Amino acid sequence: MAGILSVSRVAKHFGGIVVLDGIDMEVGRGSIHQLIGPNGSGKTTLVNVITGLVRPDGGTITFDGTDITGMDLYETHEEGLVRTWQIPKPFRSLTVIENLLIPASNPGESFQNAPLKSRWRDGEQEAIDGALAVADTVGLAEKIDTRSMELSGGQMKLLELGRAMMSGAAMILMDEPIAGVNPTLAHEILEKVTEICKAQGITFLIIEHRLDISLRYVDGVFAIDKGVVIAEGGPDEVVNHPGVVESYLGA
Amino acid sequence: MAIFAVYVVVNLSLNMEFGYTGIPNFGKVLAVGGGAFVAAAVPGRIFAGMAGIEGDYIRDNIAVVSGVNAWLVDNTGIGFAVFFMTLGLAAAAGAGLGLITSYPVIRLRGDYLAITLLAFGESIRVVGNNFSPLVGGTLGVQVPDPLSFLPGEVRFPVATIGLVAIAACVYVYSERTMRSPLGRMLRAVRDDEVAAGALGKDTIRIRTRVIMVSAALAAIGGALYAFYAGGVIAFAYDRASWTFWPFLMILIGGLANNKGVLVGTLIFVTLRKVIIFHKDSLAPAVPFDVAWLDFLLLGVILLVVLLYRPQGIMVEKPTPTIPHGRGPLRSGARRAFDLLFR
Ligand SMILES: Nc1ncnc2c1ncn2[C@@H]1O[C@H](COP(=O)(O)OP(=O)(O)OP(=O)(O)O)[C@@H](O)[C@H]1O
Ligand SMILES: [Mg+2]
Repeated sequence: MAGILSVSRVAKHFGGIVVLDGIDMEVGRGSIHQLIGPNGSGKTTLVNVITGLVRPDGGTITFDGTDITGMDLYETHEEGLVRTWQIPKPFRSLTVIENLLIPASNPGESFQNAPLKSRWRDGEQEAIDGALAVADTVGLAEKIDTRSMELSGGQMKLLELGRAMMSGAAMILMDEPIAGVNPTLAHEILEKVTEICKAQGITFLIIEHRLDISLRYVDGVFAIDKGVVIAEGGPDEVVNHPGVVESYLGA
Repeated sequence: MAIFAVYVVVNLSLNMEFGYTGIPNFGKVLAVGGGAFVAAAVPGRIFAGMAGIEGDYIRDNIAVVSGVNAWLVDNTGIGFAVFFMTLGLAAAAGAGLGLITSYPVIRLRGDYLAITLLAFGESIRVVGNNFSPLVGGTLGVQVPDPLSFLPGEVRFPVATIGLVAIAACVYVYSERTMRSPLGRMLRAVRDDEVAAGALGKDTIRIRTRVIMVSAALAAIGGALYAFYAGGVIAFAYDRASWTFWPFLMILIGGLANNKGVLVGTLIFVTLRKVIIFHKDSLAPAVPFDVAWLDFLLLGVILLVVLLYRPQGIMVEKPTPTIPHGRGPLRSGARRAFDLLFR
């Protein structure tokens, strides 16, 4: 299994608090991996560091053969990484389809081309077709003209997935995609993830606490606690690991 | 009407910056003043040089500029060429000032940013007042009139028509720009800068560009005002006239809605005109100096709008770039209704 993402001895502290204390992990291309760990163990921070939202204090991150350590958020996106948010971050005043069109980079986004429709009409049409297809896939077809602030929590999670798909990214990092979502929809979301992974070869790393729902969909699990990886491997192996049982599933 | 046209240009630029992109530029007057100063400092000197008029441009300003205006009667073509060149130069100067403005904008947030920009805005007046070679310091300078060839009584209406035409061009430009993928991206950056970054948008570059373009437009507005007024004096470029009032107008009209900008500007300019026009007849009726009346009334209007219609008269609405072709087609009547009232 060739690794698409490798994280090596990544460290991050905020002031005196050590949040990531030398994280090592290797995610195989085209796989779905889950990242688990108690609240505050540094899962979101790890995703923030990988995608360039915050800079690591040490260690290296390699994605698809490129060293992306210390790159900016938009630069890691150009490399093919995209993430979703634990608390959804829709562009509130934009409609669902407009939200989906944001990641599609379009020649009409420059001041030189914007006033001249002929320069961007074709690209826009293509992006719209893509966005409609994605809206169908994530089940938001009925809502394309709804402003995203009017969506329910679950629909916002779907929109997050849709936007990530529109990015054309090779790897999607999802921060708690099914938290606060009813079990039926949660299964639907993870089924979609599996479908997308199989059909398009996209790699997933999913932070998720709800093991009962998620474990059956994933190829492997990383468990972290206090900023270090304490176990990794197949789902059964990791959830039965004594350290994981103690720190996470605990008494 | 001419003032309306000038304010439309400035307000459209502020709307691009604040309404669409969410950058609270409390130093709008910087770019407006910059544009006006270019119009005050540059064309007069060019004309004087070409016409071979003697005299120090600042010290003998009135004599020089009347000489220039007399010369312009026979040199209309050059007059217009230099006029448009000045607008271009003002835009370039504006973009430069915008680049300076962008430094705090990409580094500071909230109150700190607002105060810094406010100070930036103040600086233009201070520079104008104290550095007399630029715009004659506290005495000001005259600006040549490219329409000198026209008889006095038609000059003003023609100038007004010209200004309205230029404002219309700026309106069309803004509207087309905002109804494009760029406009959509700006609203996304405004709604959530971090999320936009995570979807591949270089938000620092985008914000810098917006500030530069909008400062260029504001500077064109300032230059137009200078030509229209026939003179520039630094103290006229104060934060009330060119920062607070533009904010007020776009807040009344509705942020991120260019039609709203037109409506807000029209209401505001008309009201002020009415107040100024009837000042004397109102004097006995108010228990304070009438000079304060327009400020008071405008404050009251802002309060009323913010309390009862915080989104402005015209609300922001989705601005699709091209139809996606799904969903109910709207009837012609419905579209006309939307166009007029939404
Ligand atoms: N920007 C920051 N500044 C200071 N402390 C931070 C910052 N971001 C995260 N932390 C701290 O780092 C620790 C880890 O936070 P993080 O959000 O990564 O945890 P998590 O594993 O995602 O938890 P949860 O399961 O609750 O989402 C917490 O103690 C948090 O308070
Ligand atoms: Mg988290």
